[in-house]
Amino acid sequence: MSLALNNIVKRFKTETVLNDVSLTVETGETLVLFGPSGAGKTVLLRLIAGVIEPDAGQILIHGKDMDGVEPEDRGIGMAFQNFALFPHMDASANIAAPLTARRMGQGAISDTVGKVAKMLKIDHVLHHKPKELSNGQKQRTALARALAGAPSILLLDDPLRNVDAKLRFEMRLELPRLLKDQQATVIYVTQDYKEAMALGDRIAVMSGHGIQQIGTPQDIYLNPANIDIARLFGDPVINLLDVTPEADGAGVVVSVSGQPLRLDAGYADAVGQDCVIGIRPESLRFVSKGTKGAIPVTIETEAPLNEKTVTLALTKNGREIMISRPAGEIAPSSGDAYVAADTSQVYLFDRKTGARVEHSSAENKKKGAA
Amino acid sequence: MTAQLTLQGVDKFYGPIGKGVHAVRDINMDIEKGEIIALLGSSGCGKTSTLRMVAGFEETSRGKILIAGREVQNLPPVRRNVAMAFEGYSLYPTVTVRENIAFALKAQRESDAQVDAKVNEVAEMLEITAILDKFPASISGGQQQRASLARALVRDADLYLLDEPMGQLEPQLRTLLRGRIKYYIKERGLTAILVTHDQTEANAMADRIAVMEGGVLQQFASPDEIKLAPANLFTGTFVGEPPMNVFSARAAEVSGDIQFRLDAGVELTYSADQFAPDLRAALLSRGEVVMGVRPYAVRRAKDKGGAAAQVVANQWLGDQTHIAAAFAGSTVVLVEHDRADIAMGDTISVELKPEDLHFFDPASGAAISHGTQMA
Amino acid sequence: MESTSLIERILRGIAITVVILFFMFPIFWIFLMSLQTNETILRVPPSMVFEPSLQNYRALITGQLETQTGTLEIRFMGNLFNSFFLSTTSVAIGLLLGVPAAYAFARLKFRGSEDIAFTLLSFRFAPPLLVLLPLTIYFQQIGLANTYGGLIWVYQLIVLPLILWIVRGYFEDIPADVEYAYRIAGHDFWATFRKIALPLAGPGIAAAGLLAFIFAWNNFIFALVLASADKQPVTVGALAFITASGIQYGQIAAGIILSIAPTFALALYAQRYLVEGLSLGAVKG
Repeated sequence: MSLALNNIVKRFKTETVLNDVSLTVETGETLVLFGPSGAGKTVLLRLIAGVIEPDAGQILIHGKDMDGVEPEDRGIGMAFQNFALFPHMDASANIAAPLTARRMGQGAISDTVGKVAKMLKIDHVLHHKPKELSNGQKQRTALARALAGAPSILLLDDPLRNVDAKLRFEMRLELPRLLKDQQATVIYVTQDYKEAMALGDRIAVMSGHGIQQIGTPQDIYLNPANIDIARLFGDPVINLLDVTPEADGAGVVVSVSGQPLRLDAGYADAVGQDCVIGIRPESLRFVSKGTKGAIPVTIETEAPLNEKTVTLALTKNGREIMISRPAGEIAPSSGDAYVAADTSQVYLFDRKTGARVEHSSAENKKKGAA
Repeated sequence: MTAQLTLQGVDKFYGPIGKGVHAVRDINMDIEKGEIIALLGSSGCGKTSTLRMVAGFEETSRGKILIAGREVQNLPPVRRNVAMAFEGYSLYPTVTVRENIAFALKAQRESDAQVDAKVNEVAEMLEITAILDKFPASISGGQQQRASLARALVRDADLYLLDEPMGQLEPQLRTLLRGRIKYYIKERGLTAILVTHDQTEANAMADRIAVMEGGVLQQFASPDEIKLAPANLFTGTFVGEPPMNVFSARAAEVSGDIQFRLDAGVELTYSADQFAPDLRAALLSRGEVVMGVRPYAVRRAKDKGGAAAQVVANQWLGDQTHIAAAFAGSTVVLVEHDRADIAMGDTISVELKPEDLHFFDPASGAAISHGTQMA
Repeated sequence: MESTSLIERILRGIAITVVILFFMFPIFWIFLMSLQTNETILRVPPSMVFEPSLQNYRALITGQLETQTGTLEIRFMGNLFNSFFLSTTSVAIGLLLGVPAAYAFARLKFRGSEDIAFTLLSFRFAPPLLVLLPLTIYFQQIGLANTYGGLIWVYQLIVLPLILWIVRGYFEDIPADVEYAYRIAGHDFWATFRKIALPLAGPGIAAAGLLAFIFAWNNFIFALVLASADKQPVTVGALAFITASGIQYGQIAAGIILSIAPTFALALYAQRYLVEGLSLGAVKG
């Protein structure tokens, strides 16, 4: 274990930003802190870096208490969202910053800078000042600076936020190998769920001053702990409809668009309670009229979305639902249509608390996920 | 039938004509009534200048602009009858969101009941009903942007101009609101021009996309057409997420087959009859070409048929999987719809079907062919 | 469009010319005066036609002021040196004290920091004449009256608040992340101050130093009361030109030209650097 946070509390004036946050990160792991803005992700990162102090709680790096340890003595590397390059130094001096601090020889410094720059494909702009660099090059320079000192802990604060979509995508595919080669423990902050899923060995979902759920991307996408987390993962966002599960002879059913939808019998405990059903747009597919369990809808419009087609439709009760399918798949594009849901992939949430209504047979769930 | 908006030879110079910065170069466009058009490009491509010329905030240096058949390039903005939603929201800070939205309607002398009904309808669509009586300073950036959109959409205008209307929106709302706005515009038969740098937004909203770069209109076509037949390398790589894979290749005839030699010793061989004869001739006479293939068209070959590539990333995003592999001296990206059971370092076999290939001229970037036919 | 922009350009040119004339004319006129004798200066109506002579400058440099009643000893060059010495030393000390203080006020938000910073600024509120009376008495008692040290100390009242408040703003404009990044890279607090904060606030420090120099140079009242003849700067020394036999306008004009020359040269030299510094927009990331 290379990093442990125990019961961290941080307040700014009277506002509590982090309330009793605990977290451990294993050596070599990439942990993504994911959540909406204002969730305290960046504050947590800065606490680890030591540029701000917690009001309570303990930060351990390699088992050593960091209380009173200055940022320069923590052995970490960090890349900032706004790059935070030194504007008066050229790219190579920026990247060399962690090396000059160690009083390495000039030759060793330029060797290391050259190597890191080559890895990040910025060796041709090493003598440019930050203002002469493109956004993508700035971001790579910032990353190179964080990596140059070969820190055992690497803090990346939404490093792809300020680069355009294409560069962001390229970098997202490039980063896993880069980070693996470094063998560093990585804490990565992002607001983009795709980035979180693509890069994280584990994801810690933060909102409301703390960590809501922590697990592998698969855990979180397929087993969200509550309605908020289900809404944060997935594009288009998960469909949420108010339902009250009922028991019929064979098991549990809910009514969607006036059509009974049979749920797994494991939801028997939820019968009669006010619930919200969550159905991911990709778990819905168009079927022909008369198919068993077909839900009638009226299509409003459809729109392409990154190799998918998203249809916006209304249920018979006037609720909007979105259906997504791989681009190129033929489906009706207007008028009345029928959809069916993959019931192994639907979720029930408590309408009041938002918490996931647990499924009593975990075995079935695993099968559905696989 | 006349077009709702016509641009004829429109130029924009910042500075003296012919000498200043040539921001928009000879744009010609016809937009029909009821169409949604997206002006798509990166920053500085001239899309916002074009929109501002249509709105009248920017002088038209050369050429004609016609709205609903009226020549407007010399009219002030207020006399062009266009509604605009601004990137920077620009709500009136001293009045509530409701009054902001109702402002133009009251100027049109509509009855209070009518105004209320319209404001409520558009507010409900954009999910700002709860904040209608707040002041702009007390609501979030995303809410301000929705209010600004509402103020534009609620008006009665010949043309609706939306400048980066969704950049600040909460990600969970974006897809839903795009759908609703599109439905709202279509249902009422409005004509809208959307300026955006986000090709996802352009694809989702627009009937036709005008791709701009360097002040020049690169292609003006439907999203499908741009995807299947990009006019040049710029359009091909700019539109589409993930972006198109691009490799430089050398075409040669090898014992009756067509062979493409890529970097790092990768050779792709196709039997000659898989390409139309004129295309075959064009490829062989050029030799050097740029080969492009969309990530979703790249398949993993079941057998040993394809070319070897080493996996560098396998990223499952819930509903899609993005795989990157080292190939031909660079990287090839694949999109699959299910999870892929491969790990970093694995070798996969990549298959590129001739019907999915795009060829471009390496010098001009112009498209040579899409699939097996000449462009 | 071509024609409107031409008219616009002409109008703009005229407007700029008028403004330049308005501000530059007095200096130009003083320059002409410095090359004339009192007789030609006081001609009515005034005329631009005269025989230029350097006798005013000669008088200032040799220290021999020829008036109608006789030759007067003046120590203008000594005054010039005093101005130079007092201003430079005051600004140097002001920077030495003020820049670290400004950094502390900008970055280390400690208890009462705002109050202390404001108190320092409030030194500038009190009319100097009010401060002077008690100051004179104290200075005489502790032996600081009529010493360079005493004057330089009093000059801090002018220089220090100015430097503190200008430089503080520049430090605040440096994103904290840039400094954090340097700390995290392994450098300590002082290295970060020297290698990041100081160079990035450089233009601001230069601007503050220049302004402080000009304010110190132009100070009159402190030096008038606290310094005797051998310690007086030019501003006070110029009083010597109001002689029993009349006001020596020609020499005053020459004195002005000589005394504004150093600040003028300094400003011209620093201007290029200041503009360069202000366009260092990359600080904002």
